Amino acid sequence: MGRPWLRAGLLALMTTLVPLGSAFAHCVVGNRFFPATLNVDDPCVADELSLPTISSFKTGDNPAANELDISGEFSKTITEDFGVSVGSTWTQLRTPGSPTATGFKNLETAFQYQLLKDPTHEFAMMASLGIEWGGTGASSVGADPFTTYTPTLDVGKGFGDLPTEAGWLRAFAVTGSLGYAIPGSASTTSVDPDTGDVTVTQNPRVLQWGGSLQYSMPYLKSAVVDLGLPDFANQLIPIVEAQFSTPVANTADSGAKTTGTVNPGIIYVGDTYQVGVEAIVPINRDSGGNIGVIGQLHLYLDDMFPKTLGRPLIDTSAIDKGR
Amino acid sequence: MRSLIMALTATLALTAPASAHAFLDHAEPPVGSTMQKAPRSLSLWFTEDLEPAFSGATVTDTQGHTVDAGKSQVDPHNRRLMHVPVKALGPGSYRVNWHALSVDTHRTEGNYAFTVESR
Repeated sequence: MGRPWLRAGLLALMTTLVPLGSAFAHCVVGNRFFPATLNVDDPCVADELSLPTISSFKTGDNPAANELDISGEFSKTITEDFGVSVGSTWTQLRTPGSPTATGFKNLETAFQYQLLKDPTHEFAMMASLGIEWGGTGASSVGADPFTTYTPTLDVGKGFGDLPTEAGWLRAFAVTGSLGYAIPGSASTTSVDPDTGDVTVTQNPRVLQWGGSLQYSMPYLKSAVVDLGLPDFANQLIPIVEAQFSTPVANTADSGAKTTGTVNPGIIYVGDTYQVGVEAIVPINRDSGGNIGVIGQLHLYLDDMFPKTLGRPLIDTSAIDKGR
Repeated sequence: MRSLIMALTATLALTAPASAHAFLDHAEPPVGSTMQKAPRSLSLWFTEDLEPAFSGATVTDTQGHTVDAGKSQVDPHNRRLMHVPVKALGPGSYRVNWHALSVDTHRTEGNYAFTVESR
């Protein structure tokens, strides 16, 4: 089965399985709604589709290449607390003095488990195992030939449990993400087709860490104070995301320098979708050559298809009819 | 990307009527407001239609004593509107705790405060 059919097959399987039970997804924890963030994961298992996510920036290479990424990610709950996601990215690389390279990056999947949702303290925690499948993408756009496994812990905390006197500060929330990327192969051997020279490159283990600071106008209106602002303003969540990578083991070739970006932006939250746009600000030259931009349309499948696709495949929690 | 578009197409082929979580849209007295005159009942408007049997609200004072006067009710003519009768409220701060089940079975909950001013 060729790569396009593998991708389509996986996605079609996930979209056509018949849901069996009732549903409760979305990242809603008590009063708090955590939006889907554009770079770091939100802390909830959910039925959602990010399509498309488009980003444009200059890479940290020398010379810097102009990189355009168009990606999609589909997430599906299997039970209320367990879900899977699959994502793919098409990339165009334009490097000065070189032909333009295009192709897919490696296929990515994740298995996610909701460890905790505490409505009173607006706290959520999710564990996941991300797998980037080596050899499923094009090496010309940087797809690795080896598979990488990344166990990750994602948390979210709203500040609605601060004393009432804290007022508008209660609309703040933070999320955090900590992962450890483990290459399935410690090194990669390549042979120069012209000279026949053999090169062995060490594949580092990388700490991936980041988070977001967000201010929820919907929360301000519905739980703190209704200022009578226009509806549009009440649907906005200003946000700053940050994502970093630090090689921590097997770093002989990669070095141990931290790279990453800080992304200020804004998310508009609708009934069944959200739209987000952020600037991509590299923290150093190795992280990027300019300020880029990323935008995303994100669909809440549990709200769009509450009786079919938006429900867990297996119902593990009956609706609490005693409330 | 082509496969994702194919998957999206398959998804849309399963189209069902869109609904959403029922969040609090606005309330009377307004969220976080200070009232000169004590209300005799509260009104909560939600963003989606509610299932009356599984939606409700309670009101407590700062000591945690219940001050609602009977069961909250979803308006039979407007299922996005919930009425909450309350006792005669003296000056002080009050917290409304609501829970909702939207018609598509999504559960939500929340709370907010309002204040009745001393006269």
